[in-house]
Amino acid sequence: MRETGAIPERESARGFEWNGSTPYAAAPRAPRAPAATAGMRLVAGALGLALAACGPAADLPEGRPEGGIRGTVLDPPLEKPDFVLTDTDGRPFDFRTGTAGFLTLLFFGYTNCPDVCPVHMGNLGTVIAKYPYETRSRIRVVFVTTDPERDTAERLKLWLGQFGGDIIGLRGDPAEVDRIQAELGLPPALRPDSVAPGTDYPVGHSARVLAFTPDDKGRVAYAFGTRQEDWIHDLPLLLRQRGF
Amino acid sequence: MQWWCAAQGLPWTWTWRAYPGVWLFVAAIALAWWRWSRRRGTTPAGTAYFLAGLLLLWVALDWPIGALGAGYLASVHMVQFLLIAFYAPPLLLLGLRASVGGEGTTAPVSRLRHRLIHPLLTLVLFVVATIATHLPVVTDNLMSNQAGSFAIDTAWVVAGLLFWWPVIMPGGPAGFVPIVRMGYLVASMVLMTAPNAMITFSDLPLYATFELAPPIPGVSVLQDQRLAGILMRFGSAVVIWTAISILFLRWNRQETRLMEEEMREQRKPDGARAG
Repeated sequence: MRETGAIPERESARGFEWNGSTPYAAAPRAPRAPAATAGMRLVAGALGLALAACGPAADLPEGRPEGGIRGTVLDPPLEKPDFVLTDTDGRPFDFRTGTAGFLTLLFFGYTNCPDVCPVHMGNLGTVIAKYPYETRSRIRVVFVTTDPERDTAERLKLWLGQFGGDIIGLRGDPAEVDRIQAELGLPPALRPDSVAPGTDYPVGHSARVLAFTPDDKGRVAYAFGTRQEDWIHDLPLLLRQRGF
Repeated sequence: MQWWCAAQGLPWTWTWRAYPGVWLFVAAIALAWWRWSRRRGTTPAGTAYFLAGLLLLWVALDWPIGALGAGYLASVHMVQFLLIAFYAPPLLLLGLRASVGGEGTTAPVSRLRHRLIHPLLTLVLFVVATIATHLPVVTDNLMSNQAGSFAIDTAWVVAGLLFWWPVIMPGGPAGFVPIVRMGYLVASMVLMTAPNAMITFSDLPLYATFELAPPIPGVSVLQDQRLAGILMRFGSAVVIWTAISILFLRWNRQETRLMEEEMREQRKPDGARAG
């Protein structure tokens, strides 16, 4: 599915981006493998036990992927935003220069998120960790918190560390984060106006992962519902800038 | 209010939730048993067996196991399957058996039942139901709504009862002797190897339901899936091999008794031997 212009304000594949009071309209769920292949997978799983148990692939999955890219191709592609935020070690991180030439996966979320954020980061971390170093070193996953008040550098580092994959965590002024999201066509984070101390509260945020290919163009968006098999399928295409 | 456990996509909490559909389901079975046992009579042991099976069924379907298995953890979903299809049915049937009485009848209803519950048919139905309800496309599409989740659970109940019927209930087909019953149980384990291996050894999460569910801290989706596969193998093996052991011991006892009777007959003086 191709989108034109800025990313429309359709985010969560499940109809809601957050557990707050303002739902966003549903976006199409990331496509799954066709139902007809389920039976083939059953047979392949039974017959290919030895292969499946041999551990991660030695290199990028070769061969012809079934169909094209599974994410939402952005047409025209986005320009890589120019911003500087603070990483979890307290150092300034220039997003444009720090990710130049890499396949960059950018996501805006927060550590108290009950579902979308840990699922996205968990799936990405698991898939990327399967690749050899030569491949992993060409991918950058960047997580920008939309809840800097609670997501201290230490908390962010600890939370991201559980997912592996060396995810870069960034913090910044909420207004600056909102500006970056607006530049990318994403809705701003929705934070409650006032919160009693110690109260747990949700923060509305985009549920999409934006993929910037090594030519520094934002070419594909991945909604919540993107599975590990979808990342396994698309990451090689993104690295090779194929499929769109 | 939800009437049956299904995947909701909400973060898990330990706050109790009511699923009245489960209570109605269990109550309906209990009521049917009560009316049956009043008409046919039963033994205290039979009642105890049946109620134990019903309790396992209730535990498997209701909160928290029903809710966790429907939308959060593949391993708990597997625990549900084991309880519903492997552990509860033998107990329910043992309770029913106490009311049925002797081996076989010649009533037309019984002959029809014997055709429908032929071991070959029940084995195939059970394996097909197991594989079908564990296919990712089926699980993901059905578990996301209450009707689909109810359909899966009911399929397991029916398949489990059918599978265990020839093993436990009297009056099976001629030739379905204990040694053949043991082979029937072993065959079920062999035939379930494929779905079991698919779940245990897959390198990727198979089920979107559990992969995209709000995660439970400390459990990765793949670890959970592999645990589900291990539980499927060993959880089913426990009850299968227990049943095989019981069948073997009974068969051995019966054979020993027959041999002893034969030897006693042979020791009698010629004129005192029967027939």
